[in-house]
Amino acid sequence: MLLEKKIIEKIIETALATGGDFAEVFSEETVTGSIQTVGGLVEKANSRKISGVGIRIAHKLQSVYGYTNSQNPDDLIKLASDLSKSFSDETKTTPIQLGELEIGKKHQVKISPISVKQSEKVELLKKAYQAAKNYDEVIQQVMVGLSEWVQTVVIANSEGRYVSDTRTRIRIGINAIAGKDGVMQTGFEGPGTGKGYEYFFEDVNIETIAKEAARIAKTMLFADECPSGVMPVVIDNQFGGVIFHEACGHSLEATSVAKNASVFCGKLHQQVASPIVTAIDDGTIENAWGSANFDDEGYPQKRRVLIENGILKSYMVDKLNTRRMDHQATGSSRRESYKYSPTSRMSNTYIDNGTSTFEEIISSTEYGLYAKKMGGGSVNPGSGDFNFAVSEGYLIRNGKIAEPVRGASLVGNGAEILWKIDKIANNLDRARGMCGSASGSIPADVGQPTIRVSSITVGGKKGAN
Amino acid sequence: MLFIDKLFEKAKAKGMSDVQVFLTNNSDLSIEVFEGQLEKYEISNSISMVIRGIYQGKMGTYSTEVFDEALIDTIVDNMIDTAKIIDSPDEAIIYAGDKEYHELTDLYNEELNALDVAKKIEKVKALDQLFHQADPHVTIVETMYAEQTKSVLLQNTKGLKLSNKVNSSMLGGQVIVKNENDQRTGFDLIISNDFKDYDIEKLSNTIVTDAVKTLGAKPIPSGQYEIVFDRDALGILLSAFSGIFSAEAVQKGMSLLKGKLNSKIGSDLVTLVDDPFMKKSSRSRSFDDEGVATRYKELIKEGVLTTYLHNLNTAKKDKVSSTGNGFNGTVSAVNLGLLPGQHSKDELIGMIKNGIYVTDVQGAHAGANSVSGDFSLQAMGFVVKDGQIGAPVALITVAGNFIELLQNIEAIGNDVKTGYYGITCPSIKVKPMVVAGL
Repeated sequence: MLLEKKIIEKIIETALATGGDFAEVFSEETVTGSIQTVGGLVEKANSRKISGVGIRIAHKLQSVYGYTNSQNPDDLIKLASDLSKSFSDETKTTPIQLGELEIGKKHQVKISPISVKQSEKVELLKKAYQAAKNYDEVIQQVMVGLSEWVQTVVIANSEGRYVSDTRTRIRIGINAIAGKDGVMQTGFEGPGTGKGYEYFFEDVNIETIAKEAARIAKTMLFADECPSGVMPVVIDNQFGGVIFHEACGHSLEATSVAKNASVFCGKLHQQVASPIVTAIDDGTIENAWGSANFDDEGYPQKRRVLIENGILKSYMVDKLNTRRMDHQATGSSRRESYKYSPTSRMSNTYIDNGTSTFEEIISSTEYGLYAKKMGGGSVNPGSGDFNFAVSEGYLIRNGKIAEPVRGASLVGNGAEILWKIDKIANNLDRARGMCGSASGSIPADVGQPTIRVSSITVGGKKGAN
Repeated sequence: MLFIDKLFEKAKAKGMSDVQVFLTNNSDLSIEVFEGQLEKYEISNSISMVIRGIYQGKMGTYSTEVFDEALIDTIVDNMIDTAKIIDSPDEAIIYAGDKEYHELTDLYNEELNALDVAKKIEKVKALDQLFHQADPHVTIVETMYAEQTKSVLLQNTKGLKLSNKVNSSMLGGQVIVKNENDQRTGFDLIISNDFKDYDIEKLSNTIVTDAVKTLGAKPIPSGQYEIVFDRDALGILLSAFSGIFSAEAVQKGMSLLKGKLNSKIGSDLVTLVDDPFMKKSSRSRSFDDEGVATRYKELIKEGVLTTYLHNLNTAKKDKVSSTGNGFNGTVSAVNLGLLPGQHSKDELIGMIKNGIYVTDVQGAHAGANSVSGDFSLQAMGFVVKDGQIGAPVALITVAGNFIELLQNIEAIGNDVKTGYYGITCPSIKVKPMVVAGL
């Protein structure tokens, strides 16, 4: 039961009574479901109802935020009043009249996951289990989990924005464990979508994905430890894009740029990357994992060209941070739930296609690491230093993919690595991730074609060659 | 709460044998100061309930933040639906309770909540100012304070009713320091429920001094180096691998400690405990989410793995008693701690001939594999030659295996601290490890 317009208007009026120059109401109703199977048996299943309201008031550079999961109008007006006490300019009345509710229409789903029978979902998970388990006798354990959430929000503010958006997400996680002689290695695949349950009929074959998780686990089981040192690294497409997300994306968010805390501060319209690099953050891709009709300040999501031919074109900026920056808001404001005040975040971020091919890149690399699958990573936006894990890697010898290696991690500096991208293939693809930062954990796509970084530090247990 | 009574009544009427609710009520306050000004102020109150109920021997679960009695029918139907799809042979258990629960007295400090918000803001601003004054290299400062009061109530149809109230706060900050060629960050915080613990002079000085020392940090040549892990860095590592002690992970074949019970997994110096009664920890509890009394336990005693952590279900499978570690529907430690040794941190560093004093590791969520025990993590620190601290180091990785690390501990410090990740530990000195750099 989302808030009525009249009540929202009253909340905003109360919020502004002490001199605030901007007020916003974020009301949320979310239903989630999850099923976990271990060894092919359903072990846990859970449904959850999330409901609450967040109120934000801004006054110049200051902002106050409060939330509650009471939907009671009196409680909400009291919260707005409590928050407004942070400011004490003058007592004033700003009459607020919201227009017609604008409802987001893109990203429609055909089959809401909530409407699908539990037994049907269980069948899907068991199919995945069988496919992974039967892949090879070294596969000792398989966990398959399904999670889904349908979030409906109403966002209104003192500038008259009044919008509603429904975001549907489904994700399946397949974790295969291969073991032999006391050694265990894992393989993970985690496809997901901003579509409905039709995703499993139209887009992916669950058994193929499950086999892929098992294949990675088996490959890593028989892999040698990765050597360490500085070398060229070929990073494959899809989740390989996590390198741009971590190394550069976070440092282009207003969260760090507005406070002059990013290595990319003051670099707008300057060359920050090798001229072959074009990078985009696009929150409008239909039914993509990180898309939405509106951002979490109620403004339309957008396609943002961040870097074009190596030139920095745009930061990702939320409305409140425009007060600190000479930059327009870019529809980039996101938050996990009503429990977080929003800030600038990535949506679906990728490096655009280049002109090389995968084969060319491998064959032109005499020795190096081929990072076929990436794990997650992190960055310190203040120094730009980042790290991420390679979950499936191979050595490249004499222009050919050679033996598999495990346990590799890559470390580098975000500002430097962009200059070291010397080849970009033409096989752009994206993959799903969860991104954790100031405003919580949110779904975000990463992506890229296969790229080569001319030199980067590779950490592994085997030591220097 | 009338909602609970009606829920129990309806669940029984629809054929559920037992039901339990776990209610959490959080009140939060957070304050952020930027460039001397109050930048962000947040207050909140939220209530959530996890409901578990047994239907035909299987456990159904539902979580809600809405407590409208009209919703009770939906909740019960939903729990029954989820119970129906469970086909693991695990026995569903709702617990009638233990005879005794440890009494925890100092987890809630009334004074903290009573203290005027203006005083708290003042303190954050004072810390902010100290940061700016501490060193000319300081350019950007973010100072924050966060406070939480958390009450939990567990109630079930077997007559068990338990509650707990804690409050806790943290004060800290992040600074960016710059010179002509480099930009580095420093961060730390103090966690307590007593405002008297906030020594802001010491906190600001330590953060800034430590950050300035890292300016100009560079990678060093790849190779094998002796390592001292600072307590903060060790806390991150221990936290990344804390899941391996869960009997649930062991039983599912997802822990590298499978089959290692009562065997030697670490150096004689290693004693690792779980202390649910630790003072000034907001996680401390006298009962777990299943209603089982928590207890102090040694997980590793002088290098020997003495127990896994259990909830009711894993204990039943292993024919032991629950260790009171059933949290959030799974098994986890409350306050994990590595017991201190004799040495000061300087003594540990003094033992290094050729090595690195590692002050921070990054990327543990991806670069540490709790199934294989392997890790390869980004690290920062200082070169150490013949016991003397030298140049700052960054952009290196330290790689190893968690079990090997436990075995390779040569000396343990006496400088215990509870870090941001909730692990209480001192610094340690370990045998050479593989480092990747230049």
